[in-house]
Amino acid sequence: MKIKGADSTPPDVDMTPMIDIVFQLIAFFMVITNFEQQQADERITLPKDQLAKPPEVKRENVVVINLGFDKADGEKISDEPLILFGGEQFTVEGSRARLQQEAQFYEVIDTALDEVTVEIRADADVPAGLVQSLIKMCQEEGIGFTRFALKATQQIN
Amino acid sequence: MKIRSRSADGEKIETQMAPMIDVVFQLLIFFMLTLKIIEPEGDFSISMPLGQTSTESTDDPQIEPLKIRLRASADGALAEVLVNGETMGVGPAAFQRVNTKVFDEIVGLGDNADDLEVEIDPDYGVPYSGIIATISACSGRIENKEVTRFVSKIKFAPIREEAP
Repeated sequence: MKIKGADSTPPDVDMTPMIDIVFQLIAFFMVITNFEQQQADERITLPKDQLAKPPEVKRENVVVINLGFDKADGEKISDEPLILFGGEQFTVEGSRARLQQEAQFYEVIDTALDEVTVEIRADADVPAGLVQSLIKMCQEEGIGFTRFALKATQQIN
Repeated sequence: MKIRSRSADGEKIETQMAPMIDVVFQLLIFFMLTLKIIEPEGDFSISMPLGQTSTESTDDPQIEPLKIRLRASADGALAEVLVNGETMGVGPAAFQRVNTKVFDEIVGLGDNADDLEVEIDPDYGVPYSGIIATISACSGRIENKEVTRFVSKIKFAPIREEAP
């Protein structure tokens, strides 16, 4: 067996293939990363449905309302359904002031409320009556949203 | 200005790879960590004259809306689906029957099919997934990956009070 002598120079490593692959990976992750600010709350498990297709034309004015249960590590903390706004939580009744603010904002930027879609992301286990009362509250005087959409996860099979 | 003369003996300048690889790996790790897989979400539009059904008057001959009633059991699960008072049972088969029923209704209406409205009347405690299943059953059908749209006008009936 030939044993390399101590004085031999270290062999030149060809870096090109590795850099090729690494750039490929970077390009892949860059393309797939979504930097858009997501208003979706991951504590909510939407119901799945085959016909729930993402809209072909992106809506311009959207108010997203997350209605679900406060969860920690996938476990429900309480059984009371709450409206989740990032770190804040309200009951459906308690979110009236927030919705009024939202409506006033569109008034300030001169957008008619019938061009604004309220997207409701409700947990699959939330009672239907609560979703209805949320919609009803959005239509009240002083708020006055008229377009609604109910969200579901697209089921692919 | 000093102009570097090309060395006559053709000496190669070594490119420093190490800093570039450092930065490239940093970028790779950054993009890997920020990656968040989001499932595609779709939605159903709801036309909501909630509780204002009587104030609306349309010029065209009114087509009776299809009333879909969802009843909940005491423990808050979906117990029964009824279309215009006729029971459809429960479970996925019930929504299949609702789908067929809506299709028959549309075929029966012919040219006026676009004016057909569906009114969903759930018990307070019916889970939201039941609503989505009902809306889906009313709004279309998938056959051979082709989507056929049925009804686009879907609304809710006034809220039923929470059972004591």
